[in-house]
Amino acid sequence: MGDEKVPDDISQADSDNTKEVDQKENGDSVKSDKVKVDILLKATGNAPIMKKKKWAVDAEKPIGWIMEFVKKYLKLEPEEKLFLYVNQTFAPSPDQIIKNLYECFGTDGKLVLHYCKTQAWG
Amino acid sequence: MANDREVLREIWDGKLPICFQLAQEEIMEIQQPDPFYVMVPRLSYFPLVTDKMKRHFLRYISQENADNEMWLDYNGQPLKWHYPIGFLYDLFCGNDPQLPWTLTVHFTKFPETILLRCPNKDVVEAHYMSTVKEADVLKHRGQVMSTMQKKDHNQLWLGLQNDKFDQFWAINRRLMESHGDNEGFKHIPMRIYSDDGITCQRLICPKNNDGSRKTVHQLLSELYPDKAEVNLRTHGVLIPLDTPLQWLSEHMSYPDNFLHICLC
Repeated sequence: MGDEKVPDDISQADSDNTKEVDQKENGDSVKSDKVKVDILLKATGNAPIMKKKKWAVDAEKPIGWIMEFVKKYLKLEPEEKLFLYVNQTFAPSPDQIIKNLYECFGTDGKLVLHYCKTQAWG
Repeated sequence: MANDREVLREIWDGKLPICFQLAQEEIMEIQQPDPFYVMVPRLSYFPLVTDKMKRHFLRYISQENADNEMWLDYNGQPLKWHYPIGFLYDLFCGNDPQLPWTLTVHFTKFPETILLRCPNKDVVEAHYMSTVKEADVLKHRGQVMSTMQKKDHNQLWLGLQNDKFDQFWAINRRLMESHGDNEGFKHIPMRIYSDDGITCQRLICPKNNDGSRKTVHQLLSELYPDKAEVNLRTHGVLIPLDTPLQWLSEHMSYPDNFLHICLC
C-alpha cells in the first residue's frame, strides 16, 4: 500500500494518450479490448487535489471501485470517508456501473466526478 | 402529470407476503424458532420493515453475533437492501411466482463484496434521497429537487417510511410535472435489469424524433434491435408494449422516481 503504482486497468489519460494508442496498434493479443471511458476527478471542499485528474477506466467497473482507487491515491486512512458526486448533485450508489453513469451524465466525452471527504450535496 | 390516481393507489398498495426463516447454522437454541410471517409494501425497503422480525430471531442466535448486521438471502442469493422489495421479488421470482416469498435471515458471514453496509435507517434515507435527485436531474435538470425545501424532502421520505400515500404524493406530484412548453420529461429515469445481473441505464427520451410519444415497443427495438421477443415486468405485471414511456414514468415509477424494470 502507498506506492505510486496504479492498477492495471486504470491508465493516465491526459499526458500519455499515446501509450494507449500503442497498445491498441501492436497488442491485439495483450488484452481483450475492454471499453474504457474518461473520467475527470475534481476535488471539492477540504479534499486534497489529485495531480492526475483525468483517467481512462474500464466502463464495466462499479463506482465503488473508483472510490477505492481515489482513497488509495490520496493515501486516506481506511476509516476516512470519501464521497463521490455526479453533476454536483447526487451520490451514486457504489454498485452503479460507470458505463451507465457515463451514458446518462457524461459531457464532452467524459464523466466528471467531484469527490470530497465530507458530505457536500446531501 | 400523474393523473390516473387509481393506478397510483393500486401501485402504492401492492404488498408481498414474506416468510422469514433463520439460517440453520445460526440457531443456538434447542428449540427451533418459528418462521416469521409478515405482509410488506412492495415499494418499501427491507431495513424499514424488518425490526420486529430481527427481534424475533435475536433470542435464538449466539449473543456474540447479536450486534452484527443482519442480511437476507433468497435461494442463496444475497438481497440488496437498497433495491425496493417488490423489484427484488420481480427479479428473482417474476417468472416463477412463489408466495409467501421465503427468505433466509443471517447474522454472520456478511457478503461484503455483494452487499452494501446498512448500519441504520439514515443510510437508507441518504440512498433514497440521492436516487430521487438523480431521477430529477434526468427529468428536470435537477431543478425541482433543488428548489424544494428540506421539509419537503423529509415529507417524501416520511411518507414512504410510514406508508402515507397522501403525504408522499403531496410532494411527489411536483416531481412528476412536465416543465416548459414540453409535454413530458427531458429524459425518463429507468433502469432495466436482465437476469445475467447486468443493469442498463441510458438517456431515454419520452418522444420520438417526429414528436410523437415513444412507446415501450419503440424503446425495446432501439435498445435490443437483435432480440425478437422481449418483455418488461414491473410491480408484478408485464407492461403492454404500446404503453407510452411518459405515462409509465409518471405512474409506475418507484418512490425513488425510477422505473425499475426486469427484462424477461
